[in-house]
Amino acid sequence: MRADRAELESAKRALVQRRQDEPQAAVSGRGSWEESSSSCQPSLTALTTTSTRTPTACPTSKHIILGAAMEEYDVPSAASILASVKEQEARFERLTRALEEERRNVSLQLERGSLPSDRLVGGTTGGSNQPLAWQQMVMQEQSPSNQTSLAMMQEPQEVVEETVTIEEDPGTPTSRVSVVTSEDGTTRRTETKDNVTNMKVTKMVKTVTTRTVRQVPMGPDGLPLPEGSSPLGSYTDSIDRRYMKNGERFITPQATSTLTRSYNNYSDSYNDTPDSQFRHYGLHDGYGDMPENYGSLSRGVNYRPYRPYMPTGGYRPENSYTLPIRKEDYGHVAQPQVPMGSSTVDLNRSQPERFQPEPYGLEDDRRSLGPDDEEAYDLEPDYSTANRRTLPGRTIREPLRNGPRVRGYEDPIEAELIDERHPYIHGMYPAPLAQPERGSMASLDRMGGRRSPSIDSIRKDPRWRDPDLPEVIAMLGHPIDPVKSNAAAYLQHLCYENDKIKKDVRQLKGIPVLVSLLDHPKAEVHRKACGALRNISYGKDHDNKVAIKSCDGIPALIRLLRKTNDMEVRELITGTLWNLSSYEPLKMVIINHGLQTMTNEVIIPHSGWEHEPNEDSKPRDAEWTTVFKNTSGCLRNVSSDGAEARRRLRECEGLVDALLHALLSAVGKKDMDNKSVENCVCIMRNLSYHVHKEIPGAEKFQDPSALQDPGSAGTQRKKKDDAGCFGGKKAKEEWFNQGRKNGEHDKNYDTLDLPKRTEPTKGFELLYQPEVVRLYLSLLTESQNYNTLEAAAGALQNLSAGQWTWSNYIRATVRKEKGLPILVELLRSDSDKVVRAVAIALRNLSIDRRNKDLIGSYAMRDLVSNLPSGQQRPAKNLEEDTVVAILNTIHEIITDSSENARSLITAQAIDKLVAINRTSQSARETKAASHVLQTVWSYKDLRNGLTKDGWNKTHFQPTATGTPKGSKSCKPGYDDTTLPLMEKNQECLIFHPHCSAGNRGCSGGDMIPMDELGPDGYSTIDQRDKDSKYKSSDGSSDLQEREPLKVRAEVSENDTNRKHYIRSNRPTVSLVDACDVKPQPVDSWV
Amino acid sequence: MSFIPGQPVTAVVQRIEIQKLREGDNLILGFSIGGGIDQDACQNPFSEDKADKGIYVTRVSKGGPAEVAGLRIGDKIMQVNGWDMTMVTHDQARKRLTKKKEDVVRLLITRKSLEETVRQSMMQH
Repeated sequence: MRADRAELESAKRALVQRRQDEPQAAVSGRGSWEESSSSCQPSLTALTTTSTRTPTACPTSKHIILGAAMEEYDVPSAASILASVKEQEARFERLTRALEEERRNVSLQLERGSLPSDRLVGGTTGGSNQPLAWQQMVMQEQSPSNQTSLAMMQEPQEVVEETVTIEEDPGTPTSRVSVVTSEDGTTRRTETKDNVTNMKVTKMVKTVTTRTVRQVPMGPDGLPLPEGSSPLGSYTDSIDRRYMKNGERFITPQATSTLTRSYNNYSDSYNDTPDSQFRHYGLHDGYGDMPENYGSLSRGVNYRPYRPYMPTGGYRPENSYTLPIRKEDYGHVAQPQVPMGSSTVDLNRSQPERFQPEPYGLEDDRRSLGPDDEEAYDLEPDYSTANRRTLPGRTIREPLRNGPRVRGYEDPIEAELIDERHPYIHGMYPAPLAQPERGSMASLDRMGGRRSPSIDSIRKDPRWRDPDLPEVIAMLGHPIDPVKSNAAAYLQHLCYENDKIKKDVRQLKGIPVLVSLLDHPKAEVHRKACGALRNISYGKDHDNKVAIKSCDGIPALIRLLRKTNDMEVRELITGTLWNLSSYEPLKMVIINHGLQTMTNEVIIPHSGWEHEPNEDSKPRDAEWTTVFKNTSGCLRNVSSDGAEARRRLRECEGLVDALLHALLSAVGKKDMDNKSVENCVCIMRNLSYHVHKEIPGAEKFQDPSALQDPGSAGTQRKKKDDAGCFGGKKAKEEWFNQGRKNGEHDKNYDTLDLPKRTEPTKGFELLYQPEVVRLYLSLLTESQNYNTLEAAAGALQNLSAGQWTWSNYIRATVRKEKGLPILVELLRSDSDKVVRAVAIALRNLSIDRRNKDLIGSYAMRDLVSNLPSGQQRPAKNLEEDTVVAILNTIHEIITDSSENARSLITAQAIDKLVAINRTSQSARETKAASHVLQTVWSYKDLRNGLTKDGWNKTHFQPTATGTPKGSKSCKPGYDDTTLPLMEKNQECLIFHPHCSAGNRGCSGGDMIPMDELGPDGYSTIDQRDKDSKYKSSDGSSDLQEREPLKVRAEVSENDTNRKHYIRSNRPTVSLVDACDVKPQPVDSWV
Repeated sequence: MSFIPGQPVTAVVQRIEIQKLREGDNLILGFSIGGGIDQDACQNPFSEDKADKGIYVTRVSKGGPAEVAGLRIGDKIMQVNGWDMTMVTHDQARKRLTKKKEDVVRLLITRKSLEETVRQSMMQH
């Protein structure tokens, strides 16, 4: 987030600059131009140093590159380009010759000349650097003007290699530019660019190069110039040159027409790298054209200012607009669109300019370098030379910066220009810079957290202003893509944890625009738009979510998910969907549009599941990617949207299979504490809810006797015996039932055989296959995540509820897999909701008679220990719901089992129960405790012992506390019971068949009267189940639809999930069903 | 019977032929297997050597084809229709057993009682 913010900050800045229209061509062409400029750079150097050798070669290469670049835009005819190039070459040769002469003349004076240079370079420059500097100088001196008096390189014996690597936005490749100067004076420059955005990189390189050069100020006479002295001689020449340059360079007609000369340069820069722009700029304005005289002097000066300018450099003031159109003044009309040839030429010429003293130039460079320049230096050994230079520069810069001197050099026109530009020096950059700024912006982005103080100071610049919200939103519709993306990025930043802004964006109709940008072909644009939507969709304000939905944002997100392969974009999309899925009304919309896509695009590939597993290849493991986490979170939320949602998810092809595979993989890797696992288990839990009622063909598996013969455990057996009678449609079912019947005959539940399948189970059938029991038990054993534990227990609870064949199997399987000790152990969990889920699961499991006996014998102590003693809560301080759940479980366990009731008494529960019955503040607790006590008292054979312990009948009577009379009398055995499922903070819906919406509603005594409960086969079935049963007979709707949902919203921004890990080490419960067959880690029926 | 991965195994084996029960489209053997080289062998309750990653019979359905054929819980399956089962993954074993085209599977199994019997009587079971 931090980095995001920084990025946004800088994007914001960029936006300011973008306000003025930029020529589209320039923008789109950036990348290619960058190329060209960078390629020019080396050639320039080469030309200067070894003018005679390279002139032709370099231009050629340039041509090629440029040509490629130009194709993107409308480019002048090749012929014109060629012509201009030729002309330039000719000129170059001339200049080169002149230069040679100069060199010869000047070489002798070098020693003298070095004095000032020393000063400039500062003490830091080692002697070894000198040669380099000189070499560079020479190169610069090559500038077209013949009057250059600069010294020539004398002994360039060192090789300097500069490498600048800038990190682009995370994920984007870095570009690398290196310049190597060898002894013979040739310079090689290599640049690798992967990205358009890397333009800044190029700039940087150039700057560095510049610095390496050491310049000796020379007067026109070839003598070193004293500071402040201004050689005028070359001026004209330079101006001319400049004009030409400008003209030729114009690539964007618009730019030319409206901008000043300097602007022209900008246009240049548009095409070229921003760097080059900067560079040119500096050159131009300053002495760019008069390299000869002060060349050295000014350069030195320029370099120093470096630091101070830096700060300003990055930021572009509004004043930019104010630049006069200078072109006309000069009378030279830009020759638009001669970019190719011209650029080559320009570059060549501009090379010298680059080294000109002009403060701006450096500033610009600075800018491009970005705030971390200094750091870079420190880090990069290659910079060493630059460093040295920089240091001295700083000291000098002040005087130079104000540069009266500079002005002095300029002719009136020039001076005027400079004046115009002056603001730059102070941090104001005219519009023309906007384009280049973009580059610098980008570099700022990269800087992320490490901004130099100078930047901060810039920020404080009063002249600088953030765009306001309407402006930003308007910019979303800007014709230029980078503006759009920056605007979106800025919006994302603004919306971060700011509900007010989110609301404003919505009211300003920004959301539809952002949504429309999702379909934008440019990755940068839809990425940023998606980021903004993610933040906007986060939060309690559901209106934002609705707004996204209203403009078809959900289908748009899904479309993009299908389309993009960019992991980051996918994370953003799924994060947004996760956020959206937290709002009830949107769940079905998400299911309708995105369920299969999310499953196919994310869930299945990341789960490692394969439709057609290769027999020999190892099954793939799940990958816990952010995308998977987000998507599973989204599905987790939508899976709680009622029966229809569950049906859709169950029937979604591959979803259950993939989730199951992912969970098995998690168990296999013992990596199950993460959020993705939690989400998967929650989905499974939710989908397991009411399977016995909702899956197609569930009727066939219903235990017919179950509905008619409620209650007693004895009847359960009878039911089972009958089981073989109902004709399963599937052969295996029949066979299975048969096997089961055999088991029944043996009166041995342990031999209960599970249905075997020859056909691998798939789809939603997997939800309730006995095999999943082992999965959930593994999770319960291994996971440290309370949410996962709760969900796994909830899944078992759901699966073991209901009277159908599969729940019978599940209950038996839990026992066989030794799940009971695991569950009982979890009764000691520190997490309230885990205890609750486990307690309810145990209640459902105890529908199985054998389970009931085991639980009664071994779990009673742990159940009782969770009960509060009177008003004094146990250490755990469980919530009312949990206490009620435990009481109901106890009630279920002791029903029809005096043995278990005896265990209850042995566990010292009567004290607590009586205390709760008498003193609890909670009516529900009181009622539940009362039911238990009544049941205990109903076992006449226990009364003796109870009486001996000092209890009498009154202790087991319902108290007259707050319970409504009606309910007391009506439903002696049943309290409204049950288990509220949802904790306030709970992130996901829990579907417990045994508890549910009904419970919450039952605060009063409005529950179903006892007698109505009679027919229900489950004595344990909770209100909710009964409710629905009765309702369904009426044809009324399912109660479950009302489940409360607490969803996790806002995935993306901050992960609010509270993870409670840590389960204290507890001794294993020694609850073992000796008769159970020992299970293998995995076993398969064949 | 010791089992060293990759080494020849010497064991007293019994041939068991199971006629699969056809129920509609399903072919049923009536037992379940556990183990395999991809499983946690130390949890295998039937093996003497807890490093044995072989395939074991974990459950046998009452009255199922496997029981009828004499397969018992705890039997270690050495071969299925001639295919080695001592160095296979659980899934490979399962697939080997559940070929749809085959109505009969011939198992080579070994069990502790076999070895004892042999040792005592020096007779083939």
